Amino acid sequence: MSAYRPNEHVAIRAADVGVKYNLRLGKKRTTFRETFVRRLRRGDRTDFWALRNVSFQVRQGESLGVIGPNGAGKSTLLQVLAGIILPSEGEVDVDGHVSSLLTLGVGFDQELSGIDNIRLAGAFMGLDHRLVEERLPWIVEYAELGQFIDVPIKTYSSGMRARLGFAIATSVEPDILLLDEVLATGDAAFREKSKLRVAELVTAAKAIVLVTHDMNWVTEYCNRAMLIEQGGIVLEGEPQEVVDLHQERSAKRREEQKAAGVFGAKAIAAATASPPASRR
Amino acid sequence: MTARSEVPSSFRSSSVRPGSLALIRLGISETLSRRRLIAYLIRADLKKAGTDTLLGNLWWILDPLFQMLIYYVLVGVILGRGGSTPDYPLFIFCAILPWKWFTETVQGGVGAVVGGERLIKQIYFPKLVLPLASASSAVISFGFGLIPLFAMMWFAYPDRISAWLLLIPVVGVVQAVFSLSVGIAVSALNVFYRDVGNIAGHILRFWFYLSPTLYSVDDVHKIAKGNALIIRWYELNPFTHILGSYRSLIYYGTAPDWIGLGAVFVAAIVLLALAILLFKRAEPSFAKVL
Repeated sequence: MSAYRPNEHVAIRAADVGVKYNLRLGKKRTTFRETFVRRLRRGDRTDFWALRNVSFQVRQGESLGVIGPNGAGKSTLLQVLAGIILPSEGEVDVDGHVSSLLTLGVGFDQELSGIDNIRLAGAFMGLDHRLVEERLPWIVEYAELGQFIDVPIKTYSSGMRARLGFAIATSVEPDILLLDEVLATGDAAFREKSKLRVAELVTAAKAIVLVTHDMNWVTEYCNRAMLIEQGGIVLEGEPQEVVDLHQERSAKRREEQKAAGVFGAKAIAAATASPPASRR
Repeated sequence: MTARSEVPSSFRSSSVRPGSLALIRLGISETLSRRRLIAYLIRADLKKAGTDTLLGNLWWILDPLFQMLIYYVLVGVILGRGGSTPDYPLFIFCAILPWKWFTETVQGGVGAVVGGERLIKQIYFPKLVLPLASASSAVISFGFGLIPLFAMMWFAYPDRISAWLLLIPVVGVVQAVFSLSVGIAVSALNVFYRDVGNIAGHILRFWFYLSPTLYSVDDVHKIAKGNALIIRWYELNPFTHILGSYRSLIYYGTAPDWIGLGAVFVAAIVLLALAILLFKRAEPSFAKVL
């Protein structure tokens, strides 16, 4: 556990949070027929806990890096913190304005121009329109859009879209910033630039939670880290320590998979059995 | 700089859900607080409606005209039923126009939440703004549709123009509340069952022919021959009163069916509250299901 400064302001408090997915409804394009067929064979268990018994706190000024294998529940956690998904059990207290940039391209409407999209995104984020107008020049410049700002977004390259999304999300200094894998997008130059901006926000004493596979980023810029596996916290504490454990466990998993054969019966059984979330 | 914002600066989300009345109140208040977002969404809708077509927003005026023309040719000329009704084009136009508004609201509702999938998964906002914005776009398109209606009256049927025309917005309000409740309900249901879109299309078509669009309520009475059951059922259709009232104001130049209209209004308010409740109950699942 990192050195807590107990009198500091708590920005995020998660207590025993659990998120349950109903796999029956989660399927794309559910129709009456499918529901009917499933009702007939009611034996299927359709509940899936993407997160269970997750408790932690983020204080102002802290930058929490969330790491873990794919499908561990990292993105679900961010969605809960952003208020997008309500917890099925437990509760989350968030104190401060949240800006979430979970996948790039918030509010992006393909037919609208960049500038219209900025305004629309601002309205979706609930920002005061005067504030959006104030920040417009900064966003345009930061995203390096140039004359493209007046053409529909559908003509943009993925890099331009990523830059615009990042610029919008970080244009105002939110109290709490949630980032999901955003630092992996864009070219190397923009990656550097975005790192600087996030570091800027960190020093502005705002709370940040970011999900990433970039371990260097975690050890360099996060002052705390959390490893999540199968919907539960495995370890929370000093970034280096957590990253080491994650790499150790990933290596072990790879070994096991190799031993079982990736498509072997054992691997499939292990993947579907989903043992209870391991905890510290 | 701190973020000046329309959303609360802190929130608590837990597994405890508020009760029905609280949910309805919450739905209304959070929607009212995001008026600017709704305005932007409508503007975006309108901007897009005009792109990629040669004639752009002129289609708002041409669409209802062509629709009226088709029914005029079919019913008035081919089936020869228009002869008994003087000024048949105006007779059907004043019902087709509001009906078009209703279909657009329902069809917009079908796509409203589903089409916002990416947004819903990325950012928190009151999802009610989505069906509300699409319903509002349909209101605007109805407003444009009134242009050819008035032009037609001005040039072809000047003696049918009366002061009753000024009451069109009153009937419009009743219809708006009713359409909105259907649009909201449909937008939430379609998230879970995509069949809703298909079913809605068929119901709308059937409903159109069951409503007094191409014929008058009197025709129904004639066919029913005093059969109270048929007439009772026919009276239960809100569009009997809504379209009948439009027709009174525009075509006959008489007072609308105040009692029927009032009853529809009260029912529509109740339906709207229920639709908001349904929507708010379903809302937490949107991000998971989509």
